Amino acid sequence: MRRVWAICRKELQMYFYSPVAYVAFAFFFLITGYFFSVDFLSSQVVDVRPLYGNMMLVFLFVIPLLTMRLVSDELRQGTDELLFTSPASIGEIIIGKYLATIVVMLLLTVCTLLYPLILSKYGTLDQPVLWLSVLSIFLLGAAMMAVGLFASSLTAHQMVSGIVGFVLILLLWLVDWLGESVFGKAKEWISLFSIVSRTNNFQKGIFDIAALVFYITFILMFVVLSINVLERKRWR
Amino acid sequence: MLEVKEVSKLYQNQRGVHNIDFSMSRGEIVGFLGPNGAGKTTTMRMITGYLNPTRGKITVDGMSMSDHPKKARRKIGYLPETPPLYPEMSVESYLKFIADLRDVPARERKTRIGEVIEKLGLRGRERQIIRSLSKGYRQRVGLAQAILHKPDLLIMDEPTSGLDPNQIIEIRQLIKELGENHTVLLSTHILPEVSTLCNRVLIINNGKIVLDGNPDQLDGTLGENFEVSLEVRGPKDAVIRELKQIEAVKIVRELRHDLPDGEDRPIRLQVTARDRSDIREAIFHKMANSGYPILEMRKRSLSLEDVFIRLTANEPLAADPGAGETEELKEVGRDA
Repeated sequence: MRRVWAICRKELQMYFYSPVAYVAFAFFFLITGYFFSVDFLSSQVVDVRPLYGNMMLVFLFVIPLLTMRLVSDELRQGTDELLFTSPASIGEIIIGKYLATIVVMLLLTVCTLLYPLILSKYGTLDQPVLWLSVLSIFLLGAAMMAVGLFASSLTAHQMVSGIVGFVLILLLWLVDWLGESVFGKAKEWISLFSIVSRTNNFQKGIFDIAALVFYITFILMFVVLSINVLERKRWR
Repeated sequence: MLEVKEVSKLYQNQRGVHNIDFSMSRGEIVGFLGPNGAGKTTTMRMITGYLNPTRGKITVDGMSMSDHPKKARRKIGYLPETPPLYPEMSVESYLKFIADLRDVPARERKTRIGEVIEKLGLRGRERQIIRSLSKGYRQRVGLAQAILHKPDLLIMDEPTSGLDPNQIIEIRQLIKELGENHTVLLSTHILPEVSTLCNRVLIINNGKIVLDGNPDQLDGTLGENFEVSLEVRGPKDAVIRELKQIEAVKIVRELRHDLPDGEDRPIRLQVTARDRSDIREAIFHKMANSGYPILEMRKRSLSLEDVFIRLTANEPLAADPGAGETEELKEVGRDA
């Protein structure tokens, strides 16, 4: 456990010692801030739903930026030789790294509470909708982080891993639209893989256990995949 | 301490190592030599557990790398070819991270970090960002990382590559000191390094170990003919004729000379025997009988360079390099 925390702490240091996290946060709040002001000024309705809907779209661009160097950078700098020859197992290394992204996600989610805070000055917010929306974007972000982590473990090139992460997340996003263009059983099957539509219930104010389980298994799957990809490197 | 048993690593493109087999006992400093691409790094990566061998078994202090990887890796300190550093971190926070990663007990962490900082001369640079350190200091931080958890076995992949001559001397001195408490395996392609640092040398070529021995005794191991270099005062042709009369002598060659020609000029010769038997006494008697004083006679031993080149060059070297013109240069190199 100590090794996991050591890796997690190190990753957080890397995020905040380098400009990566700041740039990503700035970009995120620039875009969401723009959406927020435009939406709120034009509609004059105290409602967080359009806001959190927009945020999910911004995640698509910000999260690959936050995850692209996670493993790629180790592979490029040769520090993977340090990690993989230490007593830490690859599982511990990946979990440590993933925990760091969760902390970043948590920080990002907490920062978004600024918008509802502003809204609450102008009217009363629907509390369940607010908190479940916050939970939903946290879960969605965490799931995307896991995909990004997986993409990063595939290659030593940050840019490539960023693009692969973006494309993977985009594909999981497009599944929704694909689902709309087919009918019957196929539609049901395809929508099972959609990571975005799972947030719908939360944003209506319904606590959706199935969606929660979905996100957790989804995250586990990508964490395990990343571990396997790196474990294979020992057998190159 | 370390046992490498019939270890092979096969890559798709055929390069790799084949049936490497050696063991190291506690306290040895072993130099691992070989041309680029011979398999040094691959072998070291397998010993440290970074790569799994395709076949064979590696045991570190009784712990099998495949069965107890964590316990085995805990006993190893590893400095890869490029020191594995995070440029964004300060020296201190980097070493703290390593201490946690390598299971250094939390109570000892502070003192242990203090010790290695002292030992590697990093005092005063603890707060410096690694990116801003010079290459020599980065190498020191890399070494600090490798010894922080007091490993029994220290593995270093070309620890002096890319450093300037002063830094090389410093790092070698450090390695020598470390060798007093650790078992060390270091790879290099700088040959004098092996002679000065190691008490054993392994030469690897094309993924196979071609030599395993003491760097001082290498000359006897190759089955070369006995060679003597000789300085005699006397007429050149007569001396050479006399020497050739000795039964055991095969070749007599003149070595080039810097001194101006003249009657009293001593001649320098290289005499090669037909086999490995000592011909020095025979030469002495022959010259004494003819009245040509021997000014100098020295048994020639192969330097590590010669051994290395002979073992790793793919085509056998010509047995008799007839022209002696280049010989003097090599000779100077050996004396130095």
